Amino acid sequence: MAITTSGGPPSITSAGSARAPSDQATPKRAPGARRAEAIAGYLFVAVPMALFLILNIGALLYAVYISVWRWNLRTGPVTFLGIQNYLDVLDDPTFQRAVQNSVYFTLVWVPLTMAIGLFLAVVVNQKIRGQTFFRASFYFPAIASSAAITTLWIFIVSPYGLFNGIRAALPLDILGSVFGFPPNQNWIHDQDTALNSVIILNAWTTSGTFMLFYLASLQSIPREVYEAAAVDGAGAWQTFRRITFPLLRPGHYFVATVAVIGALQLFDQAIFGGGVNGDPNNALMTMVLYLYNQAFKQFDFSMAAAVGVMLFALIFSATLVQRRLFGRDPEW
Amino acid sequence: MLRTVAATLMATILVSACSAANSPAPSPGTSPAAGTSPGASTGFDPSAISGTAILSGWQSSPAEGNALTQTLLQYQSAFPNVKVDYEPLGGDYAAGMAAKFASRDVPDVFYVDAGYAQQWIDQGYLAPLDDYIAKSAFDTTQFFDGYASIFKGADGKTYGLPKDGNTIAMAYNTALVPTPPKTMDELVTLAQSLKGKNGLKAPLCLSQGLDRGLAFLYAQGGSLLSEDGKTEQIDTPASKTAVQWYMDLFKNGLGMSAADIGDDWCGTSLGKQHAAITFEGGWLDPAMTSTYPDVKYAWAVMPTGSSGSPVTISYTVSYSMGADSKNKDQGWVVLSYLAGKEGMTLWTQGGVALPSRKDVPTPAGKDVLASESTYARPGSGFMPGYNDVQKAFQDAFLNQVQKKTFDAGPVVEATKAAIDKALAQ
Amino acid sequence: MTAPAKATTVPGHAVEVHPVGGRPRWRRRLAYTILIGYAILMFIPFAWSVITSFKTLPDSVNLNIIPQPFTTAGWEYALTKLDPPLPVLFVNSAIIAVAVTITNLVLGSIAGYAFARIRFPGREILFLVVLATLMIPDQLRLVPVYVMFSTIGLTRGLGQYVGVVTVLAISATTIFLMRQFFLSIPRDLEDAARIDGAGFFTTFWRVMLPLAGPALAAVAILQFQGTWNGFFWPVVLLQDPDHYTLPLGLFSFVTSGGFSTNWPPLMAVVVMSTIPILILYIFLQRYFVEGIAASGVKG
Repeated sequence: MAITTSGGPPSITSAGSARAPSDQATPKRAPGARRAEAIAGYLFVAVPMALFLILNIGALLYAVYISVWRWNLRTGPVTFLGIQNYLDVLDDPTFQRAVQNSVYFTLVWVPLTMAIGLFLAVVVNQKIRGQTFFRASFYFPAIASSAAITTLWIFIVSPYGLFNGIRAALPLDILGSVFGFPPNQNWIHDQDTALNSVIILNAWTTSGTFMLFYLASLQSIPREVYEAAAVDGAGAWQTFRRITFPLLRPGHYFVATVAVIGALQLFDQAIFGGGVNGDPNNALMTMVLYLYNQAFKQFDFSMAAAVGVMLFALIFSATLVQRRLFGRDPEW
Repeated sequence: MLRTVAATLMATILVSACSAANSPAPSPGTSPAAGTSPGASTGFDPSAISGTAILSGWQSSPAEGNALTQTLLQYQSAFPNVKVDYEPLGGDYAAGMAAKFASRDVPDVFYVDAGYAQQWIDQGYLAPLDDYIAKSAFDTTQFFDGYASIFKGADGKTYGLPKDGNTIAMAYNTALVPTPPKTMDELVTLAQSLKGKNGLKAPLCLSQGLDRGLAFLYAQGGSLLSEDGKTEQIDTPASKTAVQWYMDLFKNGLGMSAADIGDDWCGTSLGKQHAAITFEGGWLDPAMTSTYPDVKYAWAVMPTGSSGSPVTISYTVSYSMGADSKNKDQGWVVLSYLAGKEGMTLWTQGGVALPSRKDVPTPAGKDVLASESTYARPGSGFMPGYNDVQKAFQDAFLNQVQKKTFDAGPVVEATKAAIDKALAQ
Repeated sequence: MTAPAKATTVPGHAVEVHPVGGRPRWRRRLAYTILIGYAILMFIPFAWSVITSFKTLPDSVNLNIIPQPFTTAGWEYALTKLDPPLPVLFVNSAIIAVAVTITNLVLGSIAGYAFARIRFPGREILFLVVLATLMIPDQLRLVPVYVMFSTIGLTRGLGQYVGVVTVLAISATTIFLMRQFFLSIPRDLEDAARIDGAGFFTTFWRVMLPLAGPALAAVAILQFQGTWNGFFWPVVLLQDPDHYTLPLGLFSFVTSGGFSTNWPPLMAVVVMSTIPILILYIFLQRYFVEGIAASGVKG
């Protein structure tokens, strides 16, 4: 473990990438031993890698192949289309809306949930009574299945459900008076509020998971840092802003990457809330739902494959961009 | 090193995909019945066949499952040599079947909804039944044309036999509506008088899509396509007026969608007495009796509109066999029974759907619905790409309702564009 | 030595951020109130589902906390009228969840160790491949995987279980967690074992694995929970209703026309599918958090 203390804040590099100092301490190996090591390595990863290569990468390559043909499910390739499918997809206003929705969802939900998760982690990290209780309860919403939780959510935000009921019972109904929502607003079925409802649903359920990730990151910050800050007279907020937050950079990177990858693949809540057509009026159409729709409602597998390939490219680039922005030494 | 690995992997995939393409597709033909010489139109003798046939479909309610099980029991006693294995698909039926088509592991007999029948026929997933029909001297003239025509391919062959049908009719709460309206004008007057009464959320529970709206469009003299089905007709004065008339029902508070009422479908709205009148098919009956037994309702035919003649739309599903089904002979024994007079009588007695054959007696309580079968027009599967047309209409319509602008113009435009695009393909 | 660093990674270590001078009482009280309020907020929807399951249908759209009348009709409906019956769904979910958890533990720990500590050519690239699998949506893999499985017969009968378990057998997250954890263990232990002449597998089995308790616990809980709640692959690969898992049962219950707003039994099914995880979580929560902390994202 390398915690270098050299005047500035400690650099938290995780224990050993291949270049950790202790690596050089091992004796050099004879070529025969190197080969034995390599073989051992391959053997160890053989089964998982085979599964990944066949069921994941293989599927992706198959999708790339399908996407350049007019494809018949039974008989395979019919006509060679080149990039025509890709062009058709990009031209489709429904797809454009799907991209818009997915990107909007990502841009809003990721920071929102990260912030909530971080806030909860900081809170739970304090020496307060009932710390275990709080930690347990904040994580609680994450344990249910997406099917169950979305069903529950639809029930709660239905026109005569709990949410509107509480609104009516409160003395001041901000949503009604300020924003103009009727008392029996159907939050999931209204095209203006559907996506935001899903954002709130997912923020609520996933904030607990992010809290745990941040918690782990927080707990690796050595005590000395805070003590030093206190000695220097830093207040709570200052300490957080100048010391804790920047030190959490690897945590941010991990959470952000996981979050973005997940957000761009939003599907379960979309199909439960809006059906396979992304009702109402494409408000809940996401890229993955569009893929599913093309494949199993339009039965156009080559279009669906094209969407999948583009989505993969998008997610991959997003990950690379984040690596640039965040990760100096991203320890995966 | 990575390059070699990638290249090998790519090559493997390509080779296997190519060989899958090159392997001859099993001929979507018929295997001659045992003991007959090919080409001769001698009979198909079901008692000479034995084996198992796998029947698949979906089950949208426990009542439906029961009705089918009863029918299959009767079938089994009539044909003990050909066992039927009923394996319904859960979840998304079309998705499940798509995966099966791709892997060429399809059931022997399965449902095909009119909504995607033409697509499945075009793509070659289904097997033509003409040979079997001829060999068994199966009487196909008994099917209502509105149902049977949907399952004919462009090549004129029959790719499915309608297993039943459902027409859309008017279901009304008898306590709130003593006399059902006979015309659309009467309907409007009645709805106006019901507004706000008795805790109703809306007098009528309506759909914002063509799944019901098409019936109103036809009734008011509009249409989507020309007679020959080759050009769009939504952008005509007659159609535009019809769409606006339908839109005005929403505008004047006479009708709301189930979602806006707060229910999952209009059946619930009728049952919970949120609405007094709704437009559904025979599937409403089992739902009402099991979930809302205390609500008294009755059926009436679709009111006549300004077009002057009674019209409504119908939905149907076929029994079909797959091009890759392994037990076609056995499948045909099951299929011909279920689509025949005896099987269909048993099935429709379950009260889930109407007969698609004229020679099957109308099940109890379904007289009104059945009486519409003679003039009902197909509600789906009558044009390519209808899903997209429906989606375009519904999206635009819903937009107008939610934004409270209630203008039929954009709806017509969007639908026209979708129809043009669909017809061009 | 790395002692100071070790000390700071003790899980559950709370850090006192505030300066030692104490702070205003009311601020503390306010903070507690907000926290408790938020915590209760987390439970409300679930509590609501439990309460609703004991209501009658007309009552379920009302706001009263105590069902009026209190009835078990919803539960009876869910337990008797559901097809396939709830116990069958339970058993199926359990079988698959346990199997997937075991495969993940075995394959994940072995691969995680290799990626962390064994040098072999192409290791970093293969690891990138593992990372890439997270970015391939399941919906895209649906048809290729289904085609592959049906060619080898994993889509009929009992093969369906094998199919679902295979496709979920190992996940990238598991490998990350285990790799991260193994990276954090000092090399001295391994070197000692090596000097004693132990091969790679023996080192793994005798030295590293016994240390991996917290990480293994975290993986076990994550995978069990994920598979128990998992929806997509079961829907595709489990065609036979007798093999349905709980989420599938819920989905078919919801989509079987006209029942999707029959709230009381629906909520009963929601509660039933959540309870096992809840129980697991209550009892094993500590290990879970420790596991993530010890092996996860320290940075």
